Amino acid sequence: MSMSNPVPASSTDFNEINFENVKKKQKVMSFTKGMLFLLPSIVLFGAFLFYPLFKTMYLSFFLTNARGETTVFVGLQNYIDMFASPIFHQSMKSTFLFVLYTVPTTIIIALLLAVLANEKLKGIGFFRTIFSSTMGISVAAASVFWLYMFHPSIGFINQILGFLGVESIGWLTDPKWALIAVAVTTIWMNLGFTFLVLLGGLQSIDSYLYESADIDGAGYFYKLRRITIPMISPTLFFVITVTIINAFQTFGQIDILTQGGPQNSTNLIVYSIYREAFTNYQFGTASAQAIVLFIIILIMTIIQFKLGERKVHYQ
Amino acid sequence: MKKNFLLTSLMVLLVVILAACSSGESSSETEVEAETNSGSETETTENNESKEKQVVTFWHSMGGAGQEALNSIVESYNSSQDEIQVNAEYQGTYDESLTKFNAVAGSDSAPTMIQTFEIGTRAMINSGQILPIQELIDSDGYDMSGLEENITNYYSLDGTFYSMPFNSSTPVMYYNKDAFEAAGLDPEAAPETFEEIIEANKAIAEANPEMKGFALQAYGWLWEQLLANQGALLLNNDNGRSDTPTEIGWTEEEGKSIFNWVKQMVDDGTFANYGTNGDNMVAGFLAGDVAMFLQSSASSRDVIDNAPFEVGIAYLPHPEAKERQGVVIGGASLWMVDGKPEEEQKAAWEFMKYLQTPEVQAQWHVGTGYFAINPAAYDEQVVKDAYAEKPQLQVTVDQLQDTKSSFATQGALMDMLPEGRKIMETALESVYNGGNVDEAYSTAVDQFNAAIEKANAARGE
Repeated sequence: MSMSNPVPASSTDFNEINFENVKKKQKVMSFTKGMLFLLPSIVLFGAFLFYPLFKTMYLSFFLTNARGETTVFVGLQNYIDMFASPIFHQSMKSTFLFVLYTVPTTIIIALLLAVLANEKLKGIGFFRTIFSSTMGISVAAASVFWLYMFHPSIGFINQILGFLGVESIGWLTDPKWALIAVAVTTIWMNLGFTFLVLLGGLQSIDSYLYESADIDGAGYFYKLRRITIPMISPTLFFVITVTIINAFQTFGQIDILTQGGPQNSTNLIVYSIYREAFTNYQFGTASAQAIVLFIIILIMTIIQFKLGERKVHYQ
Repeated sequence: MKKNFLLTSLMVLLVVILAACSSGESSSETEVEAETNSGSETETTENNESKEKQVVTFWHSMGGAGQEALNSIVESYNSSQDEIQVNAEYQGTYDESLTKFNAVAGSDSAPTMIQTFEIGTRAMINSGQILPIQELIDSDGYDMSGLEENITNYYSLDGTFYSMPFNSSTPVMYYNKDAFEAAGLDPEAAPETFEEIIEANKAIAEANPEMKGFALQAYGWLWEQLLANQGALLLNNDNGRSDTPTEIGWTEEEGKSIFNWVKQMVDDGTFANYGTNGDNMVAGFLAGDVAMFLQSSASSRDVIDNAPFEVGIAYLPHPEAKERQGVVIGGASLWMVDGKPEEEQKAAWEFMKYLQTPEVQAQWHVGTGYFAINPAAYDEQVVKDAYAEKPQLQVTVDQLQDTKSSFATQGALMDMLPEGRKIMETALESVYNGGNVDEAYSTAVDQFNAAIEKANAARGE
């Protein structure tokens, strides 16, 4: 597409038909070339993303049997039932609360740790390793570990509470606490990755910026606010987007810790989809919920790009 | 979660690179591969010819102690004869295994036989992917009447056996005998009714304020059992055995008796809430935090062996106003998969018959706490020795044999039962957390009926 017109301007009129043809040919050529380059990713995306997406949309208009084969066409009935269902309302509410609990907390704690670990001190490598270590722990292992921490009577947390004279809390059985308990687990698990990415962002800031700020006599917090934060804003933006999407898609820790209970208070949207499809074998309603999740994440991401881009400073 | 992102991008890169590499060198590589493949193939066929073993793939869902016991049975079967080679493959929980089966059914990767839980019975029959074992029973002249009647009742529909019962258990009440003694209760006479449990709870709480009286895991299976013990149906049309169910089968009085019982204990402060987590409940019992709980008899071996105190096992409780009817068989059965070569199915059938022999059943019963499907197993020496050492194991068998056969205790058949269980679990949990009984009950009934309606609609009949 970047080919410029090689014909001198004076002869344009004379060669008009020819020129159009050549241009067309070149267009087709460059289109084919472009498509050839894109082919691998089109095939991969098509097979693993677009096909499942359209299949999900298709399924959401049907009732299915246990094997996921469509049986009865119901039009929008799955969507109507879903929006009328109190279980779905609860699920949406929990999902948004969960995002609200986890995303800001994860990023603030990770940023704090990253700023601390960015100091050039002796043995800082040790702390960097420790802070990012949760990255190496699988969701299943971490969840089982927290499952024991949260045990109502012999769990570590309730033992400490008992030692302090506070009445023990049913972390995973009390609907008031269960979502918070799952959020704590998630924050702990996500901290490693967020920390590492933010630390990477901090390390890439040119030291001359700080040097000239030092010469100007700027204080620590002034530098933090005026140099550090703006300079890592692209990284922060990336981390926020990814953390939000992941929070919406949380599954593993729910499955192990609470299985959506108590009283559906931790039945986040992805778990609810899983349960509809693989416990209840209602692939139609599950697909309808999946489409809603897709639209929510799409809207959130668009909003972030519209709002976020204004604040982000790219070098 | 984020690791996944990195991982996926790495994987995609790898795939692309591999694809690029292979296109260049494919010819030489595939040749080598083909050679090695053909080499190994001829080797295996040679082996097969010398031994002529028919391979049977057996998918099961037994983890932990059950898996060990099952593996040793399969091993001794494989070494006992040289015609059939059974490969037992653990496929996760019943739910997971069923999902996998639905994905591969009808293809070559489908197993020869699969173990599925009792509430999957209707779904398996409807799937059209299985061969009713009645056909094999008929052609082989096998006598099913030698097996425990209460168990065969569940798995026979209109006189037809669709699957072979294998691991069956019922719920029992476990209690801490030491705690009973400390509270001045008779450790040999466990409470039998809801009302007696409420009273016992109070005595236990008085003797030891640290200990809760009773724990009921929010588990739909236990709800079904507590209903059946009152003679109540779960679904109408005789629990779905005479016709497709259209709504719930229990009356408001029967359903609410369980909710009110739990509510009373919660209000008394004698109820230990472990939510839906059975492992936590057992851990709490072993740690002396709760004196009584309901659980499958399949855990009896584990609980008795691990408790630092004397464990008692008793019958499932019932409301005082109702007579005890007994329990529904829980557990799982073995299904023959359709569309496999006849030889393979015959081999699997041989293995199924082997599993029902008294010796194997005795070993299985003692090793796990599941019942012996074949009552002759109770006369085996292994079982007698085990009973002498652990008389509690016998209670689970007595409870089953005392069960009165009716539609209620035969158990319900419907493909939405897993969903129904979740609905009841949610309702129970809301009462555990101080919710209103009437509200929780009526919401659950509405949802239960809606689920039945939807399942019937989805069948497209």
